[in-house]
Amino acid sequence: MNSATTRQSPIGPYPRAAIATGLLVLLLAFSFSGMRAEVWTALLPFFEWMETTWFGYVGKTWGGAFATIQAGHLVSLGVLGGAVLFSDGRLLGLYSSLPLRDVIDGSHQVFKWALAVVVFTGVFMVCGVAVKVYYLPVFWYKMLALTVGILFAFYVRKPLVDRDLSGVSPLVIKLTAIASIMVWFTVAATGRWIGFS
Amino acid sequence: MNQLIFDMAAWLDDTAWSTAIHESYYLYNWIEATHVLTLMLSLGILFLIDMRMLGWALPNVSATRLAERLNTPMLIGFVVMFITGILLFYAVPVRSSQSLWFRIKMVLLVVCAVNAYLFHRRMTQSMSTWENAPRAPSELRKGALISLGFWTVIVLCGRFIAYDWYDCEYPQPDMVRALAGCIDGQTRF
Repeated sequence: MNSATTRQSPIGPYPRAAIATGLLVLLLAFSFSGMRAEVWTALLPFFEWMETTWFGYVGKTWGGAFATIQAGHLVSLGVLGGAVLFSDGRLLGLYSSLPLRDVIDGSHQVFKWALAVVVFTGVFMVCGVAVKVYYLPVFWYKMLALTVGILFAFYVRKPLVDRDLSGVSPLVIKLTAIASIMVWFTVAATGRWIGFS
Repeated sequence: MNQLIFDMAAWLDDTAWSTAIHESYYLYNWIEATHVLTLMLSLGILFLIDMRMLGWALPNVSATRLAERLNTPMLIGFVVMFITGILLFYAVPVRSSQSLWFRIKMVLLVVCAVNAYLFHRRMTQSMSTWENAPRAPSELRKGALISLGFWTVIVLCGRFIAYDWYDCEYPQPDMVRALAGCIDGQTRF
C-alpha cells in the first residue's frame, strides 16, 4: 500500500466525493432559497456586458458565425455523449470484451476535450443572446445541470472508477453509470429546450 | 426534376399528418429534440471509432473490436435519427425540399453512407494485420477523416436549414434558385 492511500483525510476516506456532495447540497439549497432571486438580479449587468463583448458582437451580427459555433457545440456535445455512453455502457456491463480500464481512461480523455469545446462554444453562444437567456428559466436549469454534471464527473464518478473496481459493489458502479448518463442527458435536453423557448 | 420534387412536397404538405406534426408545438419539438439528442448515440460513437482509427483516442483498445462492439448502438442511433429526420421533413416538406442546405445535407449523407460501406469493407479485409496498432492503415485513416469532416458539415447544414438566407420566398441569384429548386411563379413556400 502506498503513502497516498494510507494518509487519512479529516473528512473521511472519500474527500472529493464528500466535498462534491456538500457542494451539490449547497447548490440545491441555494436554488430553492430567497438568495437565488437576489443573485439573479445582481447578475443582469454581467449578462448585459456579455452582449457587448467581441463574442456577443459576432454572435449578434453574423448569423452564419453563430450557426457555425452552434454546429461545433452540437458536434462536441455528440462526442461528449458518445464518450459518456461508451464508458458508462462498459460500466453497466455492455461491450464486456473490451478492457474496462482502457475504456474508462480513454473515454475520460475524450470527455475532457469535448467538455472544454462544449463550454467554450456555449459561452460564445450565450454572449450572442445573453439577455434573452438570462430571462429563460430553462437556461438556469441547464446551468444547474451542467454544474451538477461537472461536479459529478470529476468529483464523484472519476474517484470511484479510478479505484480497483473489483473491490467496489457492482450495484454502486451501475448506479453511478446510470446517474452519469441521466445527468448528461439532462444537460443536453435542457440545452435543446433553450432553442424552443 | 425540381417541378416533380415540388409537386411531391406539395402533396405531402396537404396530408393531414403533415399539418398535425407541423402545428403541434410539443410533437414537433419532441421529434426535433430526439433527432438532435440522438447525436450523442450515433455521431458521438461514430466519432469515437473514427478518432480511434486516427490514433487520437482510446489507443489501448483494439480498433476493430471497438468498431464491432459499437456498431449496433451506433446503428440504432442512426435509425432513430433517420426516422425522426423523415418526420421533420414530412412536417415541413415544401420549404425543406427547397432548402439549399437540406439538399447539400442529403448529398453528403449519401457520400457518408458510401464512405462507411467502403470503410467497413476495407476494415474487415485487413483487420488481422493491424488490429492492435495505435493507428489504422492509411486508407482507413483517410476514410475516418472523410467521415469526421463530412459529418461535421452535415451537422452544420442541419443548423443552417433553420435560417432563411436562401429561401425561395425571397429574391435570390439565379444559381441559388436553380440549386434550391425554386419554381418560377410559385406561391406556396
